[in-house]
Amino acid sequence: MSSVPVEQPAVTAALETPSRGFWSEAWRQFRRRKLSLAALAFVIGMGVSALFAPAIAGTKPLVTRYKGELYFPAMAYYNRSWENAIFRTQDKFRGRYPQNLKQKDPESWAIWPLVYQDPQRRLYRDEWEGIPPNPTGAKGKPYLYYLWLKGWDSLFGTNYVEEEFGELLKDGPLPFNLFGATDRGVDVFAQMVHGAQTAMLVGFVSMGIAAAIGITTGAAAGYFGGWIDILLSRVIEVVMCIPALVLILALLAIVERPSIWHIMVVIGITGWTGIARLTRGEFLKLKQMEYVTAAKALGAGRARIMFRHILRNALAPILVPIAFGIASAILVESALSFLGFGDPTRPSWGKLLDQGRDSIQEMWWLILFPGLAIFFTVLAYNLIGEGLQEATDPRMRQAGH
Amino acid sequence: MQTMTEPRAERRNKPGAPVLEARNLKVHFPFRRGLPFVGKYGVIRAVDGVSLHVNEGETLGLVGESGCGKSTTARAIVGLTAPTSGEIYLNGARIDGLSSSAMFTHRRDMQMVFQNPFSSLNPRMTVGAIIREPMDIFHLHSRRDRRLEVMRLMDLVGLNPRYMNRYPHEFSGGQRQRIGVARALAVEPKIILCDEPVSALDVSIQAQVINLLMDLQQKLGVAYLFIAHDLAVVRHIAHRVGVMYLGRIVELADADALYASPKHPYTQALLSAVPVPNPQREEQRQYVALAGEPPSPDRQYPGCPFAPRCPIGDEHCREVAPQLAGGQHLVSCHKVET
Repeated sequence: MSSVPVEQPAVTAALETPSRGFWSEAWRQFRRRKLSLAALAFVIGMGVSALFAPAIAGTKPLVTRYKGELYFPAMAYYNRSWENAIFRTQDKFRGRYPQNLKQKDPESWAIWPLVYQDPQRRLYRDEWEGIPPNPTGAKGKPYLYYLWLKGWDSLFGTNYVEEEFGELLKDGPLPFNLFGATDRGVDVFAQMVHGAQTAMLVGFVSMGIAAAIGITTGAAAGYFGGWIDILLSRVIEVVMCIPALVLILALLAIVERPSIWHIMVVIGITGWTGIARLTRGEFLKLKQMEYVTAAKALGAGRARIMFRHILRNALAPILVPIAFGIASAILVESALSFLGFGDPTRPSWGKLLDQGRDSIQEMWWLILFPGLAIFFTVLAYNLIGEGLQEATDPRMRQAGH
Repeated sequence: MQTMTEPRAERRNKPGAPVLEARNLKVHFPFRRGLPFVGKYGVIRAVDGVSLHVNEGETLGLVGESGCGKSTTARAIVGLTAPTSGEIYLNGARIDGLSSSAMFTHRRDMQMVFQNPFSSLNPRMTVGAIIREPMDIFHLHSRRDRRLEVMRLMDLVGLNPRYMNRYPHEFSGGQRQRIGVARALAVEPKIILCDEPVSALDVSIQAQVINLLMDLQQKLGVAYLFIAHDLAVVRHIAHRVGVMYLGRIVELADADALYASPKHPYTQALLSAVPVPNPQREEQRQYVALAGEPPSPDRQYPGCPFAPRCPIGDEHCREVAPQLAGGQHLVSCHKVET
């Protein structure tokens, strides 16, 4: 080795610090944008609460010891068939646990969700000791509203509680509907928490499908070029030309009883065009790079070149429309539920809006809370998308923040 | 795939046999200017009948001005550009026009080092991953051994193996070119095509990389097809030198012979343009000025392509194409006795 002059590495000074990869650098840049970081925290919080929705609001115990066995009836909220047969057919609980547990096995105990409310049905009289059933119609005012007025009254000496809640207070304690109840007496808070599950699921699954279709199509068009590119680009343009909602409604009409999964697939197969066009552009640009030529000369296969060399460099800009796409997928699902094309078995924010449509004057809480939830979630995803764009674009980075 | 399982020694050719040979290689690019059907159609003759061979453990230098087809020749040989006609042999096996899967087994014997060390390394891959990739592609060594092999290669090209997990942007140009050389060496090729490997580097760094390449040749017996436009660099590294002009080789000889007594008028002009780093000798330097620009490669010339600019060219040169001839010192010129 002695005859080869060894160049002194230029990085000697920074020897001890570990090397920063592209993504760790992007994360460092992303963290600088406080608003995007807050949006990310919001989305993560929303995701966690969606995942653990049955532990936040529900009428089925999380854990119960019944007749000497441990059961997890709250799992029924994830999948109906997961409710143990002993509660459904054998002992006929009919979904009402507190009294049944006590009557049929006085020894039993249970851990309950934070809020005893169901996203699907109204609470019945004496279902839980001392708590009245959910009121129906305009009487189901939010408990939060009651607290707000009470605070206002005690601060300014007004008498708004009597004015708004007077007749309800005569019947004894107020029902605990944090965000109020619907026309049929179903709790809004429980629906919102379980609706977050729907929103998250729709956002990620439909954009996952869209990303898979979009990246494959765009990659094939950009990499192979020629008539494949011409053909695929025309397909992209045709799909883009059709208004998304019309296409979704047409596709949903094919299915007899659309479930949330149908809706997600349909949103996915109509929302991939933006991703495909961007991927195509990135591939067109990156396939000219010399390191791609180097990989070809090395004998790398097509798949290796497309995925390990090109897609790896194109991923950052492609993530941006995916983040925006999640926001628009949530909006589309809400719009579909609002129009009455949603999944009837699943609580969703759009469905609440739909129910509030007829009684917007007296039941304002059916519009306000889900509306805010949709607004903030969509805003959060847009902020994340923007943050990603700036964190991964070196030109923006140099501009300095 | 069969050849891959054979032991390395058995794949070696008879001594002295050329590792790489190109016969009458032509690369033409069709083009269209203006509107479809009514515009001008034609072909760019980037490489127009190049014949060369590189022996085992030998360096063939290829020089010429920009646009003379040096790089296109290299790209055609490794199969990045499909040759229009001609034959390419690697270890005696014909490799032009092979499908990419048939070409795959041959790629192990022939690697390439690129001109720009800043764009020829994937910015998202660590140095270790870049050097390991050829081994991954050809399934060489066990997974655990590949890491050791990467460290050995980094050491071999004069890089500290501790920098394995760093990214290319953390290295200087010279270090990056070393990474490029290590990547080419990873599959133990018999010949490396160096496409202007030092043109993008500082002069002081150029010498280091050139010395590294020569050192590696001595140790590993690898052959080089070394493309450059810097005559001094080529003189230093090459055993034999070919001079290209307008897609053709006009002179091909041993480096010493070519630099001592260039025969082709173009080579003479080229060599006379090299500055001498000695002020007294520099003043005495005879400078042969060439008139005009190199002609466009989109036209076909019946005679010698250099004739319009040649100081000694005549009517005969313009009409009849000369052939590359003469035992050890090949020249393509009517005016030179061979």
